[in-house]
Amino acid sequence: MSKSDWNSPEAARRIARRNASELRFKMIGLGAIVLSLSFLALLLVIMLKNGVAGLDWRFLSGSDSTEATVAGVWGATKGSLLTMGVTLLLSFPMGVLAAIYLEEFAPKKRWIEWIEVSINNLAAVPSIIFGLLGLAVFINTLGMPRSSPLVGGLTLALMTMPVIVISGRNAIKAVPPSIREAAYGIGASKVQTTFHHVLPLALPGILTGTIIGMARALGETAPLLMIGMRAFVATPPDGLTSPSSVLPMQIFLWSDEIDKAFVQNTSAAIIVLLVFLLAMNGIAIYLRNKFEVRW
Amino acid sequence: MTDTKLTARNVDVFYGQKKAINDVSIDIDNGIVTAFIGPSGCGKSTFLRTLNRMNDTIAGARVDGEILLDGENIYAASMDPVALRARVGMVFQKPNPFPKSIFENVAYGPRIHGLGSSKADMEQIVERALTKAGLWEEVKDRLTDAGTALSGGQQQRLCIARAIAVSPEVILMDEPCSALDPIATARIEELIDELKESFAIVIVTHSMQQAARVSQRTAFFHLGSLVEYGETDQIFTNPREVRTKDYITGRYG
Amino acid sequence: MILTGVLLAVFGLGLVGWFAARGRARLLYTGRGSMHSMPAYHGWHMALWILVPALLAWGVWSAIMPGLVEGAVFADPAAASLPTDPMTLGAIVSEAHNLASDPSATAFNPEARVLVEPIRAAQARFGLIGALLVMVVAIAGGGYGFTRIRADFRARTQVERAVMALLLAASLMAVLTTFGIVGSLVFEAGLFFKDVSPIAFLTGTHWSPASTMGANINDNFGAVPLFWGTIYIGAIIAMIVAIPLGLMSAVYLTQYASGAMRKWLKPMLEILAGIPTVVYGYFAALTVAPMIRDFAASMGMQNPSTESALAAGLVMGVMIIPFVSSMADDALAAVPRAMSDGSLALGSTKSETIKKVLLPAALPGIVAGVMLAISRAIGETMIVVMAAGAAANLSANPLASMTTVTYQIVQMLTGDQEFNSPKTLSAFALGLVLFVVTLILNIVALRVVKRFREAYE
Repeated sequence: MSKSDWNSPEAARRIARRNASELRFKMIGLGAIVLSLSFLALLLVIMLKNGVAGLDWRFLSGSDSTEATVAGVWGATKGSLLTMGVTLLLSFPMGVLAAIYLEEFAPKKRWIEWIEVSINNLAAVPSIIFGLLGLAVFINTLGMPRSSPLVGGLTLALMTMPVIVISGRNAIKAVPPSIREAAYGIGASKVQTTFHHVLPLALPGILTGTIIGMARALGETAPLLMIGMRAFVATPPDGLTSPSSVLPMQIFLWSDEIDKAFVQNTSAAIIVLLVFLLAMNGIAIYLRNKFEVRW
Repeated sequence: MTDTKLTARNVDVFYGQKKAINDVSIDIDNGIVTAFIGPSGCGKSTFLRTLNRMNDTIAGARVDGEILLDGENIYAASMDPVALRARVGMVFQKPNPFPKSIFENVAYGPRIHGLGSSKADMEQIVERALTKAGLWEEVKDRLTDAGTALSGGQQQRLCIARAIAVSPEVILMDEPCSALDPIATARIEELIDELKESFAIVIVTHSMQQAARVSQRTAFFHLGSLVEYGETDQIFTNPREVRTKDYITGRYG
Repeated sequence: MILTGVLLAVFGLGLVGWFAARGRARLLYTGRGSMHSMPAYHGWHMALWILVPALLAWGVWSAIMPGLVEGAVFADPAAASLPTDPMTLGAIVSEAHNLASDPSATAFNPEARVLVEPIRAAQARFGLIGALLVMVVAIAGGGYGFTRIRADFRARTQVERAVMALLLAASLMAVLTTFGIVGSLVFEAGLFFKDVSPIAFLTGTHWSPASTMGANINDNFGAVPLFWGTIYIGAIIAMIVAIPLGLMSAVYLTQYASGAMRKWLKPMLEILAGIPTVVYGYFAALTVAPMIRDFAASMGMQNPSTESALAAGLVMGVMIIPFVSSMADDALAAVPRAMSDGSLALGSTKSETIKKVLLPAALPGIVAGVMLAISRAIGETMIVVMAAGAAANLSANPLASMTTVTYQIVQMLTGDQEFNSPKTLSAFALGLVLFVVTLILNIVALRVVKRFREAYE
């Protein structure tokens, strides 16, 4: 093909056609994002439209009731807080310690691989399966009280731990070897190096992962349904073993009410839950941006 | 028989705020091999990539000045980068065959540009390109094998065949032998020598010996500027600039 | 209760031990190199010797004490008059326990009141014995620890060994959880399969676990309609929504969007993944399902149900978009830049490069991502519970109501339940199937991703 061919009308038409298809493809891509985000916008707008009028002090401080106008979310919120407390207390130390072990100490042996495979798979197991585990082990075998934040927290802790281990390992992996070598070089033991130097540097990353895992646990409903946390709780739970509900469960229960007045309550509870989640994710992003070190 | 193919006038290249190429003017002729040499980071690869607007694909890159291909400004609005790159082909540092069959690797370019409409046409184009790249004899019985299954040297010749198949006017080569062993390198150098009959070839290399072996003209870049440009023999035996001489004799680089 | 109090005492003792040991170790310090370990490590070593044995003793005692109390109560003369029927006896004893801890609790059986005093007495007695035992163990442990403080004692090595044991135990928790899941599912499903044949369960097409009628129980537990509903909603409808939208989003974000645009759009897209599924479920039930029902009615469908496979599948697809998008994003990013450079240098446009070079090169990674997305979709519960329906339909009509595995698990295990009936146990059999299928999808997908990454390294 000689150079003049590129200036022929036919070649020009061909290029124009290809450029048009280029533009079309690009627009489809943009369209896909816009469409996805408009779903999000639609969802948020509908919840705000239905729920914002229901957000008043009585709603935020009340507990469940059969009467839509007196029902509130404080009981469920307190249940969520207690449950999350148990989850955090268990999954955070366990997750961090396991991450440290696997990343810094574990020998390259076959049974270690089993642990790793186990963790990676647990992170992808459907949440409802954890509910079945909680029901079979904590309630039926160990006889712990049904519907309690204790069992809910335990179940969600098992679900959250793998998430923390995985993000923790990534954060620890990102700490450069030169830091470890520097510590070894002045005679620190391996445990000292890990706890005095590696862990503090990895902590922001671990915390970010933990908050994201906790946010996921906070929004989880299915496993708690399995362990009976769908109690009608007219007074806020007063301990880890008293029957309790949680925010997403309250949403689920109200969504089932036939009384139309509960639509407002459900939407308002969704707004409360989303505000919590947004705040948690905001903190996670803030931590990541503030403390992330590029090595 | 030398006529000017590419002309660069006062070219500056910026990456964001950073100036990577400073006021380079150069004429590149048809029918010969032009080598760009210089220490790493001197801008020779960056400049090479301005010649077929590959820098367009890097966010924040900006080119000032004028580059003419047969007298036509390649940065003019009327010039489509797609058509330009069909006329100014490129071979990269590391062989980068597509994860497709050998045949499809070569046929890809002609196909997107609408060269060769029938299956027979395409087969002919592929055979001619592979033959020119000196690879036909080695692969003619396994055209359906993956291009990535070839050896490094073969992969690079496949990439050359891929570039040739579009019938470009200029071929830019960015250190095409840096990832290859000496035997494969020798094979590519022979090939370059044959190809210069049909194409204007520009090769970036950090091996001075390679520049001396394959090129007729050499341009020496340093810190983003063109220090000296001339006949290869003259550059290597009798450089006019002190910096060129220091580089050639191994003072730095 | 005294046993709780003794725990505090043990921790207090540990603290005292820590300071005492560190103080003593400091006295031994005579200059550089005179000691193997820093004094604080001696403190930790001592504290561990106090805490670990005492806590073990506490745990053991807490486990056996209820049995001891029970024995003592039944030996009490007050218990002689109680009925022997195990059911009523159990109820009485548990009420008595409630009364013992909370006098204002209500008791339906008057006999419970007689047991309160014996229970209180036994609890006090055995609690005291346990507390003393724990304290003795703590003090003995501490005493031993204290005698080992010497200049050349390698306290740090000992403490670090304990730390390692702790780390290992935490890691093993994951394996324990996996065993717990497999064990409980297999055990309960095993009970179910005693009543219902596995073949009938996996191949039967009639699902109505509530009906106790019928000659053969096997006929009521055919789970094929559930499997079909799960696949139809999670792997077909949801994927028809999520794959094109997720893939094209990823293409736009990685190939076209400017840095600033990407920085904003990507987190916004990720919000979709962070919204709780119960919210999606409510959105599906409140907004999407009625829309689809009206549409079905306008299409001339008789009595369209509010619950439809389409409503659940659509919303589930939206939920999965960011997941597919981020997997595709990773897969596209793993393709070396040289590959697209090679194509662009031949004069192909960006979209030609994407369609003919990038996407084919990233295909294994994308396929793996889709497999993970499917595994997530079929395990999703709340959306189907709120929008898909309970009717086990074997239909290809997306407007029909359909049920899924997860829906039925919830259905079988909520509300009043007699635990060991085939109906409740079937939930565990369904859970086992779900677990195995998602496990296979995950393992295969992770393998593919790993191999794909290695190919480009």
